[in-house]
Parts: sequence; C-alpha cells; structure tokens
Amino acid sequence: MGKKKKTVQKVAAATEPLAVEESCVNSSRASLEEIETYDGVIGYILRNSASATIDIKDPTKIIDYAILSSSALDAGEVLSENFDLGTVKSIIVEGKDAKVISLTVNENKISVFMNKEANCEKVLRKLRSL
Amino acid sequence: MDNEVYSFALKNTLNEIQNVCPDIKNSFMFKKDGQIIARDENTPEDVVVRVIDSFDGILDKADAIGGVEGIVLEGSKGKANISCMNDLYLVTVTSKKADMNYVTTVTRVLIPTILRLLEKIHHAPLKSNTPPIKTEIPVTEELEEQEETPIEETMEESEESLEAKTLLTDLPVNQLIVENLGGLLVPSDTVRIDSEILSQWEEVYDGAKIEQTEVETFYGKTTICKVKPIKDSKYAGKGIIRTPEKIQLNLEIKKGELVRVKPVFS
Repeated sequence: MGKKKKTVQKVAAATEPLAVEESCVNSSRASLEEIETYDGVIGYILRNSASATIDIKDPTKIIDYAILSSSALDAGEVLSENFDLGTVKSIIVEGKDAKVISLTVNENKISVFMNKEANCEKVLRKLRSL
Repeated sequence: MDNEVYSFALKNTLNEIQNVCPDIKNSFMFKKDGQIIARDENTPEDVVVRVIDSFDGILDKADAIGGVEGIVLEGSKGKANISCMNDLYLVTVTSKKADMNYVTTVTRVLIPTILRLLEKIHHAPLKSNTPPIKTEIPVTEELEEQEETPIEETMEESEESLEAKTLLTDLPVNQLIVENLGGLLVPSDTVRIDSEILSQWEEVYDGAKIEQTEVETFYGKTTICKVKPIKDSKYAGKGIIRTPEKIQLNLEIKKGELVRVKPVFS
C-alpha cells in the first residue's frame, strides 16, 4: 500500500507579519508538527489574520475540514456569547470516525484532527501549553 | 404523535433534569433540520434559534468526520455539551464547577428513556377515538350457551345493563393541552376544543349533539362544563383545550398541562 502523500498548504498574506507574530506562529507550528506525530492525529489547521497552514493527511478532506474548523470556532463564540460562558478555551467536535479539537491561542486559530480513538487530552494539554 | 404532546413531555423532562442537576443552566433539543423540539423554561427561543443557526456549518460538514456524535465546549465561566440522541441534538449548558460525569449520566439515561417511552406511546395512540367496542355479540353467545338455565327476563335485564355500561366505560377520551381562554364576553363555564374532535364524538354517537364535556386532570380532579368548538383558527388542530381561568382554578391546572377530555350526554 502506498504511503499517503502529506499535503501542506501555506497561504501568506500580502503584508509581512510582525516579527513577534511570526515567531508565535513558528512556535505554534513546531508544536503542531510534534502533535502530528501522536497516535491517531490526522492533521491540523493553523490560521490567523495574516496566514494559514493546513496539514491534512487526506487531501480530499481539506475543504471540509477547513469549513468544519472555522464553523466550530464560530459556533463556540456564539454559544459563549449567548450563554455567558466566558472565553472559549476549547471546542471538541466528535464524529463517528474522527474528532477535531479547536481553540484560539494568541490570535492563532488552531484545529487538530484525529481518529476517534486518539488521546484527546494529551493533544489538548500540549495545545494549552502554547 | 402530536408534536405538542411530544414537546411537552420533553420540556418537562428538561426541567426535571435541571431540578436534579442544578448545575445545568440551560438545555434544549433540536433536530438536524434546525427544528426546535423542546427547551427548558430558562432558555429564550431567540437564543436557541441563534445557537442552532451557528451549528449549521458544523452539521453540514460533519460527514467528513462521520457525522456529529457530540460537541463539548469549555469556556472560562462554563461548559456546553451537545450530544446526538436518536437523530435529535440535546444541548446542555452547565456552570464551570459542574460534575460533567453526573450531568452526562443523568442526561444520557433520562432523555433516551423518555424518547423510547414516547415512541411506545406513539404506537398506543393518545387519542382513543375508536367507537365503543360492541360487547353485545359475545354476551349473546354466552347467553345462548346457557339458554336453558336463566329466566328470559333476567337475560333482557342483564343485556340492557351491559349495554349501558359499555356506553359509559368506552366513551372516547382525548388528551389535550390546556390553553388560556379569556376576554370580556367569554363565558366562564365553557371550554373550547377542536370542532374535529366534537364531530368525531358526534359521529361515534350517531350524530347526538355534544354540549357538555368532562375534563379530568392527571391528579384526578374532574369537572363537567359546557363545550364549544374553537373559533380561532390559530388554535385549531393543535390538540388543545381553551379553558377559562375559573375552570383552570377549579381544576388546579394551568396553561401547558395535559388533561383528559370526554363527552357527556345530558
């Protein structure tokens, strides 16, 4: 069986991000690359106002995952506003086959996709340490 | 099953769950198409609509992860949990200190149980509008078998009394939801129900005019009052009984409660 091709897409904004932001993104990206090595993790999406990095093992799901990630974060905001839940720490969407953890760290919106059996807590701990 | 009865049962369940778990601040249920099934009394409808709308994107793209089984949001002041049960989504909002294991256990046991129960009730219809069972045939057969022993007069007497009993015990009974009926010219001794129900009752009794009804609460209180068809089309076909305040006070009931209603022959 052939190895699945890893798809990494980077979308850069026209304006150069500030050095501090860039270092923050780089640090987040490094952590996400580490998370990607965890059992069951199938990819991540990292985006902010200036750039976006998408690393998903199955390229056919990139668009669906991107919309799901964005919708999860938006729904989290709506839920929080309407029910006074404060700052959203994380939102986990669990499906029958896979799950996604989404959260915002220093203006960076992060979503990590993983298999249903993957250790969600371990990923969450790592993300919160960013 | 009547959607209102279904929603009513689920709404009460949500309220009771909140009594058991005071850490649950809000709860509601909706279908994938966005239809609100039930919400607790603390959660305004506009809030529910906004929140359901925000789930559209997730539910639309959920196929990518095999469909949504659950969503957990952790905020700095509280948590929200969305779980999928029998094609319905249950949303519970809890305080930060809530014991999520307890909340999850209660909701995941109670709601599916109520849903199963409602499904069972669905197969045994709430509205028993079927005509009375004619017990005359078996009675006659039974009597024929014993034709040698009883005296003819006794037979006639027993047939008559059985027929009368059948008429009384098999009166069609409907379960309806109480709705307020008010206004200056509204008589305080008259309830209003669907004209369709009245017609069904009249059909069962060969066109006999039904002018009175017996209203019975689930706590056993009953009253006999006049009955007329609902005029206002917005209340028609919804399985409700518009009841004046005086009758509600007598029966110790209020809007939204279920009552049993059957015809009375004067």
